[in-house]
Amino acid sequence: MRSARVVFQRGLAFVLAAALLSACSHPDPVQERKFLAMGTLVEITLYGVDPSRAKTLMDNVEGQFHYMEDTWQPWQPSALARVNSLLGTTDWFSIAPSVRPLIVRSQVLSKESDNLFDPAIGKLIKLWGFDQEPRAPGPPPDAKQIAKLVADNPRMSDIHLDGIRARSDNPATVLDFGAFAKGYGIDQTIDYLKREGVHNAIINAGGDLRAIGRHGDRPWRIGIRNPRGEGVIAWVDVEGDQSVFTSGDYERFFIYKGTRYHHIMDPRTGYPARGTTSVTVIHNVAADADAAATALFVAGPKDWYRIAKAMGIHYVMLVDSSGTVHMNPAMAKRIHFEGGKTPKIELSPPL
Amino acid sequence: MTRADWILIVVTLALLPLLYATLWQRGGLGDQVEIWAAGQPTKILSLDQDRTVHVHGALGDSVIKIQHGKARFVSSPCSGKICIHSGWQSHSGELAACVPNRVSIEILGGKRKYDSINF
Repeated sequence: MRSARVVFQRGLAFVLAAALLSACSHPDPVQERKFLAMGTLVEITLYGVDPSRAKTLMDNVEGQFHYMEDTWQPWQPSALARVNSLLGTTDWFSIAPSVRPLIVRSQVLSKESDNLFDPAIGKLIKLWGFDQEPRAPGPPPDAKQIAKLVADNPRMSDIHLDGIRARSDNPATVLDFGAFAKGYGIDQTIDYLKREGVHNAIINAGGDLRAIGRHGDRPWRIGIRNPRGEGVIAWVDVEGDQSVFTSGDYERFFIYKGTRYHHIMDPRTGYPARGTTSVTVIHNVAADADAAATALFVAGPKDWYRIAKAMGIHYVMLVDSSGTVHMNPAMAKRIHFEGGKTPKIELSPPL
Repeated sequence: MTRADWILIVVTLALLPLLYATLWQRGGLGDQVEIWAAGQPTKILSLDQDRTVHVHGALGDSVIKIQHGKARFVSSPCSGKICIHSGWQSHSGELAACVPNRVSIEILGGKRKYDSINF
């Protein structure tokens, strides 16, 4: 009898010890890497990939990001800078294969967004000094100079493509893919990971991300940072293949005589778009989500619904400058506000 | 099996969730901050010890403050000041970066509440 008790006690002790130590015995299924590229911090998260294989994949993704950064840099010698200098001539020229697909997709998105997403306004970005980091201190640009660039009205539709040749009708066309290249780059690298047989991953570039698959037995959980404070304001679960992009007025800005001037330009006025603090978009393609977040930011609280509908976006959350959250019902079902702090919400009709 | 044996078993089983919560969960709070400069991790500091750290970056010094279990940028030689506006970071996996100065911080330890942060 005594020996049976001892066996039972030892067995129980073993089970308890195994339960306590089991967390230590599993290798971490998550592999991560962080690096700086395209003017931002890029994070790669892979789930369930062998560590040595993950290292090779992450090396290649990092390499791709550095290549894209070098190629699509508008303000330093690069393939895009060459394209920009030749667009100004209004003559036909041979376009770099690395730049052509960005123009093709941007033209579609620009048209859908009623030109509120307009990568052709590079001259305006430069005039405001947002081509430099850090931006040279000083006041906003002269109003006449801004008005001149708005009157020049460069648009993506000014660019004509004929095979490997390109030209622009408008000598004021200067491309800056700051609101698109990051998303496009994320798409390129996610597509690469998929081709390599990766099923569960996140690539996050400066807070904008595309997630495929899931985190083991649950969806990926994405925190959305508070645009006017610390910490996370809300979270959303994503799985399968979805991108979460946010454009905010807090990303790049300067304050002059008490007024905040941020980097998201309204092509119609030549000034930073007013009325919006941030826009979060969930969409399958990262490049389209990137462009849409910018276009909806510019559209503002009154017009975002029309533009989202035209761009085929199904999940939108816009925080206006008074803190009111505008959402479509499908987005409202997915967004979970942290700590029960639900802000004032205005629901739109379904998208 | 004596009554003491059963009490021991019940107490041990009751302690399991507590041990799990304290050792593996920690409510998502981290206990260390990892500081990166020039794209490389340079140091890991405990969040338990309040201090101010100067980190030399591409444009100059970024100043990082650690206080009451949290860390943040308090100054940096960039124009946007995104790093400073990011505020205090205390939960595992939270990041703040001064990209122009190539300096970043990440909270380590604890259990992550989010797999990635959108901003």
